[in-house]
This record gives sequence, C-alpha cells and structure tokens, in this order.
Amino acid sequence: MVDHNRTQAVLRGLAFIFVVALPLGFATPSAADETEEKAGSFIRSLAAEAIRSLAEKDAPRDIRIQRFRKLFNDHFAVNSIGRFVLGGNWKKASKDEQKEYLVLFEDLMVVSYVDRFSRYAGENLEVTRTRAENGGSTTVFSQISRPTGKPVMVLWRVGSTDKTMKILDVIVEGASMSQTLRSDFGSIIRQQDGKVSGLIDALRLKTASLKASSK
Amino acid sequence: MLAAFMVLTLALTGGCATSPHPANAEAVAEFNALNDPGEPANRAVFEVNRGLDAAFLKPVALAYRDITPQFFQDRIKAVLDNLRAPVIFFNDMLQGELERAVATVLRFVLNSSLGILGLNDIATDMGIEGHDEDFGQTLAVWGIPEGPYVMLPLFGPSNPRDAIGMVVDFLIDPFNTWAGNTDRDFAVFSRSAARGVDLRATYMETLDDLEKSSLDFYAAIRSLYRQRRVNEINNGDPSAKLPVINIGTVP
Repeated sequence: MVDHNRTQAVLRGLAFIFVVALPLGFATPSAADETEEKAGSFIRSLAAEAIRSLAEKDAPRDIRIQRFRKLFNDHFAVNSIGRFVLGGNWKKASKDEQKEYLVLFEDLMVVSYVDRFSRYAGENLEVTRTRAENGGSTTVFSQISRPTGKPVMVLWRVGSTDKTMKILDVIVEGASMSQTLRSDFGSIIRQQDGKVSGLIDALRLKTASLKASSK
Repeated sequence: MLAAFMVLTLALTGGCATSPHPANAEAVAEFNALNDPGEPANRAVFEVNRGLDAAFLKPVALAYRDITPQFFQDRIKAVLDNLRAPVIFFNDMLQGELERAVATVLRFVLNSSLGILGLNDIATDMGIEGHDEDFGQTLAVWGIPEGPYVMLPLFGPSNPRDAIGMVVDFLIDPFNTWAGNTDRDFAVFSRSAARGVDLRATYMETLDDLEKSSLDFYAAIRSLYRQRRVNEINNGDPSAKLPVINIGTVP
C-alpha cells in the first residue's frame, strides 16, 4: 500500500518534470526573445496611450495636435525616419537645409497623421506576433479592428537601444509609411532639378495649408 | 476596354519621359528604379481619372457609404466577394496553393447554399476566412516581371502584367461567360459598377488621407500601388522581403 503510494508520488514527480518543468526550462527567454517581448508590450502601451490622449473626440484640434506631437516625438525615431525618407539627397543638403528639413518633416508628420491616429485610437489593437529582423530591429504584427469591414493589418518596425524603444516605420496592409514618403519626396526633388531647397519650399506650403484646414 | 487601350497606346506614344544622359550614372539608375518611362503620359491620364472620380465615382461612393444602411452594404459586399470565387479558385490552383483552393471551394459552396446565394458570409463565421487572388498575381508567382508602371484610363494604376491579368480574369470568369451567352451584358456592367463603388467606398479614408498629406499625389499612389501588389503577391506575409531600413541606431 505504502509502496503503491510512493510509486504514484514518483510518477507524479516525473510527470511534473517532463510535462511542466522541462518545457519551461527550455523556454527560458533569450536576449532576442526578450527584445521581441518588450517591443510587443511597447506597441500595446503606445496604443493605450493613444486612446488616453487622442480618443477624446470633442477635444479641439489644436489640443490634439499638441498631444500627438508629444506622443510622436516620444515614441517615433523622427530624425532617423526623416533622414531615411530623404535617401541620397540627405548628403546633398547643406547643414542648414538638413536642420530646416527635419523641423518641417516633423511638422508634416504631426499635422497629417494626427487625424489618422485619432480615428484609430478608439479601436482595439491586438498584437498577433513579433519577429526579430536583421540589424536588431523587431517587427510587431498587429491587427486593428474597425467598426465595419475586415480588421486592418498594421506592422510596426521597432528599433531598440539599451534604454529606449522607438518606431522606425509603420506598415499598413503592406504599404510602408517611410517608403511611400521617400517616393513622394524624391519625386518633388527630381522636379526641382535635384534641389533639396525645392522640397523645403513645398513642405512649408503643405504644412501651412494642413494647419489652416479645420479638419 | 478596347477604347481604353487605344487611348493608352496613343498617350504612351505621345509622351515619354526623357531618359537622362547615359554619362550621368546616378540619374540613369534612378530613372530605371522608378520604372515609369511613360510618366508624363501617365500623369495626364491620372489627372483625367481624378477628374472623373471627383465628378462621378467619389460622390456615388460617398452617398453609398453614408446613406445605405450597413446591413445592406455588408450583403452587397458578401455577394460581390462570393461571385469572385471561381476566378480566385482558378488562380489558387495555378499558383499551386491547394489549401487556399480548397478554402475557396468550401467558402463558395457554404456561402452560396447556407449563406443564401452569397448574401451571408457564413464561411468566415465558421473560421474559413476569405482571400483574394487574380491572374496578375499568378503571373508574378510564375516569375513574370511586372514591366513599367502604367496609369490606365478609368482602371487606374497598373502595369503590363496586371493589365493582362485583368483581361484574363475577365475572360475566365464564368459569370461573364454566362452573361455573354444569355444576352445579359447589363449584368456585367452592374456588377462592375457595384464593385467599383464598393471598393471606392472602402478606400475612401485611405485615399483622402494620402491626397491630403502627400506633396506629389501621383508619386505617392505609384509607390502605394506597388507596395500593395507585392503584399498581395506574398499573400500578406512579409517574408523577410521588407526592405532593410538603413536608419542606423535610434537616437
């Protein structure tokens, strides 16, 4: 009787080791897994922050722009994206042009994305998976459900250092924000005989008109 | 359709972008990467398309979206999707996607019967989600290059591969064969019009946003069209084909 109980206990112990403990042991997160995990929660917390600061529909547009500017600068690698978007033209620009371009670029992003972000802010964002990319960045796959129609697939390219995480790119249904901007800006520079100053003029006009429009 | 192609051919022969001097290696590389030798003509067609859109399609799509109750919009979308099943199945098979082909057949059978002639997408509720395919994607899977960017009158952004795909899809669609054989051309026109309005309504916000925020709407659309097509060809799976972002470390 006693033996029987002991055998059972041993079996239970073995079962515990093989079924529960070992898989857990194997699943010890590596550094890469940890980064992926962190990137996923980074996007989740960004979504939560966006709801808090932008979902309030009756807030005046000025206030929403102000809040989105903070969120954008806190969580997006604004200058890196700006440089990437300019491509080879970055080196052609003078120091002053680079400086002015980055200011206008940030402004354009804020005033043109504030409404898009506000619209999505109230919707449910679900992180479906994460994937480590070459060069240390992580792609966070997410689905945003819409009031009607299929959920929208949104991918977030997240770069990280020891201390911070920042978004490098947003890819909506296969279309990358930074790639599209790069084509857009590149086309303007080509039309201006390769002059970055022509792009800067166009950016100034665009941001002014976007700020003037009520919605 | 024929008329559209004639206009296109005329437009293309009328104005091609002047290719840069061969000595300017950087400019030549850029010209080739853009892959839009007919840019001036394409831009002209784009402006005509925008005018037609603003005058006809957009107002109709807005009215459809805002006035038609969501219930009816969902039924119409379900019927339109269900009608595409034969073309999707055909392309699933040609791409060797057996699992997706089976899903397409199951969806068509379920939605046409229990779903009452496709009015209800009950297959999705049962966990068999839908997908789209077209012959342009099939050609891409077979390794045929896309060719230069082309802005088609009425149909919008395309390239030779996708334009051929559109024609093939039209020809193999049993719905069109049936309508042709029974003198019901109006059915083809009504279906195309309904699909156009439904798609325009679906992309209303996306296009409005892009038009508002882009500096060069034509260039932004060109980029968007290509990226979306790559995404569709890969069936929405960005398998390491995302361009490596060379932005260096985060500041």
